Amino acid sequence: MKSAIFLLAFTVFAQDANWTTYHGSYSSTHHSGLTQITPVNAKNLELKWTFQAQSLEKFEVTPLVVDGVMYITEAPNTVVAIDAATGREFWIYEHKNPEVTYPCCGKINRGLAIRENTLYMGTLDGKLVAIDAITGQLRWEKVVVDYKEGYALSHAPLIIKDTVLMGTAGGELGIRGFLAAFDAKTGKEIWRFKTIPEPGEPGHETWKNDAWKHGGGPIWLTGSYDPALNLTYWGVGNPGPDWNARVRPGDNLYTSSVIALDADTGKLKWHFQFTPHDQWDWDSVQTPVLVDREWRGRQRKLLLWANRNGFFYLLDRATGEFLQGTPFTKLDWASGLDDKGRPMLNPGKSPSPQGTEIYPGVQGGTNWFAPSYSPKTDLFYLNVWDDYSSLYFAWDQEYERGKWYAGGGIKAAVQSVRRDRLARRDPKSGYGAVRALNPSTGAKVWEYKMTDVSEGGIVTTASNVLFSGNREGHFFALDATSGKLLWNIYLGGQTAASPMTYLVNGKQRVTIAVGHTLYTFGLRE
Amino acid sequence: MSLRPLYPLLCAAALAAQHSDTALKNPFQSPDDRARGGAFYRSQCASCHGIDGKGGAGGPNLSTGRFRHASNDEGLFRVITKGVAGTAMPGFSMNGREIWQIVSFLRGLTVSGSAGISGDARAGQQHFETNRCMNCHWLNGAGAPRGLDLSAIGVRLTAGEIRTAITDPSTEVAPEYWIWQATTKDGKALSGHRFNEDTFSLQILDNTGRLRSVNKADLREQSLDPSSPMPSFRAKLNDRQLNDLVAFLATLQGAAK
Repeated sequence: MKSAIFLLAFTVFAQDANWTTYHGSYSSTHHSGLTQITPVNAKNLELKWTFQAQSLEKFEVTPLVVDGVMYITEAPNTVVAIDAATGREFWIYEHKNPEVTYPCCGKINRGLAIRENTLYMGTLDGKLVAIDAITGQLRWEKVVVDYKEGYALSHAPLIIKDTVLMGTAGGELGIRGFLAAFDAKTGKEIWRFKTIPEPGEPGHETWKNDAWKHGGGPIWLTGSYDPALNLTYWGVGNPGPDWNARVRPGDNLYTSSVIALDADTGKLKWHFQFTPHDQWDWDSVQTPVLVDREWRGRQRKLLLWANRNGFFYLLDRATGEFLQGTPFTKLDWASGLDDKGRPMLNPGKSPSPQGTEIYPGVQGGTNWFAPSYSPKTDLFYLNVWDDYSSLYFAWDQEYERGKWYAGGGIKAAVQSVRRDRLARRDPKSGYGAVRALNPSTGAKVWEYKMTDVSEGGIVTTASNVLFSGNREGHFFALDATSGKLLWNIYLGGQTAASPMTYLVNGKQRVTIAVGHTLYTFGLRE
Repeated sequence: MSLRPLYPLLCAAALAAQHSDTALKNPFQSPDDRARGGAFYRSQCASCHGIDGKGGAGGPNLSTGRFRHASNDEGLFRVITKGVAGTAMPGFSMNGREIWQIVSFLRGLTVSGSAGISGDARAGQQHFETNRCMNCHWLNGAGAPRGLDLSAIGVRLTAGEIRTAITDPSTEVAPEYWIWQATTKDGKALSGHRFNEDTFSLQILDNTGRLRSVNKADLREQSLDPSSPMPSFRAKLNDRQLNDLVAFLATLQGAAK
């Protein structure tokens, strides 16, 4: 018994010391048990090392750390093994992509998965590659999909048991999305779940014509896994074309939904569609946060989900039952959710040829960058884009293979990707905030308001410190109980990545990708 | 003769000749090409750059005649085929002719210097000088840095828009030209133009012509005035003088490439 307790303690410790999956854990809470950095000593944080990427593409990676070695991807598909203590490189593996690939919005990659001594990465040319984590040599590569059809693999894979799970981007290029599982040793495909059901499959009735053939439903962010239920949860992206929804009548399953799949078979256990017949490009590609917690007097296995559409949802993750949904940002496309969680649409809030102003803007209330749940504070933390709108346009467009298929466009004061290095827009056009929500009610507990919106994720620690970076170039620590700023450093580049924390040589470190550089901080000694 | 076999060659040459002095000329510039380029633009580019080319949520304004990542047609060809690293702009896999046609369409988005012009540009230049426009504006490397740069105003605005900007300057003022005013906690008044801003500070050009950074924590209050500091010239110029001035400004296309 004693040894069992010791083993358990050791396992927890090793888990906290390392960061072994994109989200840090299967439950994707982006919460670490590490406690060396506290609200009291956070002011003593200092730079320990940097890693300068050679690539000028957006740096969206969240690193993995295993026993003192950090593994990152540098866009688009270069893998680097780094000494987590010093930043020195051990080896570099470069995957050569063809000249033309088809990512919708930048040649990016968000990270890796690791199992035993093998690393896994999806590539822009539609391959899953397995790399030896000790030597950086290629073990195998497997064509997952024909990238020329508009597919691109951008998210970090997820390891479950002996399989590697990988989905695909391409929601703006008329693809049909999927999530597939591959044998971790050989790359052999085990199962494939299609996010757009074909004729004869359940859900196909939500497509009324041939629109399903280019129906979208991409998966471009890593999902979560509940080992006890053996269910894996993934957010599915927008239907295609994005904005001209007239051509695809129906609810368009399983776009803008969460799917819960049996991890062994890929069979659908349940789904919940956040935005039926999505007309706004509100990919449900956010982090599925798994929390076991009391809700209305009963212990529940919950799924917490702050959706791009502006609502914060509580679902029962065993059954998919909708429990609650509350707006967390200014929105005007729906008046609320009905008792099944279906949005009650406001009239006149569809994209149009002349443009329709709709809140929130096209990037939604939040997006793919990680939220966090802390069991210490029992709060849910997220980066919110608030009080901003976009003009949504829709127009007719024919599908062409490998071409952009969005059926409309967007105009907005708040840019999806800030293209101007200087920030001076009208302050009334919206703002960003790190916000803490009470999971029971969805109510705001505190917020840390910023001038600009943010594409930085969040990590919290058991010592009640919250780390996040933003588009302005700041990386900072907040008190997770109050939102008070504890420490801030200006790093001079935009953050479009989620931070992580780990232990090396017994010392806690926190790492974030900003601009084209990876920064690692620790306490002054 | 069909040009088709030439396309790959044209593409390769366009990519290879980036550093040569002899830029490739766009071989597809007919009205037909421009129209076809417009159709490609609408399906492939307008989602990000706007249906009118004036920018959207992700892509910049392409209608000003100046491009951040290209200085000529060949550069535009390269940007469209290869994309722009670090941005959302991907490379597009169209054939060479389609890309040249888009380039033709983009060139057509800039305003023709002569459309709707009836005045005498030479007389307009006189009015420009006697009204001391350069006391506030910047033109071809000289003038006052605080005002709008007029060096390429003839391709950025139509004649009608130039006229409105002179008679009703506050109709549409971009936020970077708004007047910023503040009072510090110790009672000092500050004003100027915002160049940049974040949660903690502002980088401004103050009204004494100095670049300075201001900590928001030191401010008691601040505000932005979205109206233009430029006075209306409606009463100062008669119709003919106004037409002449518009004609002169429409000729200012020098810095546009």
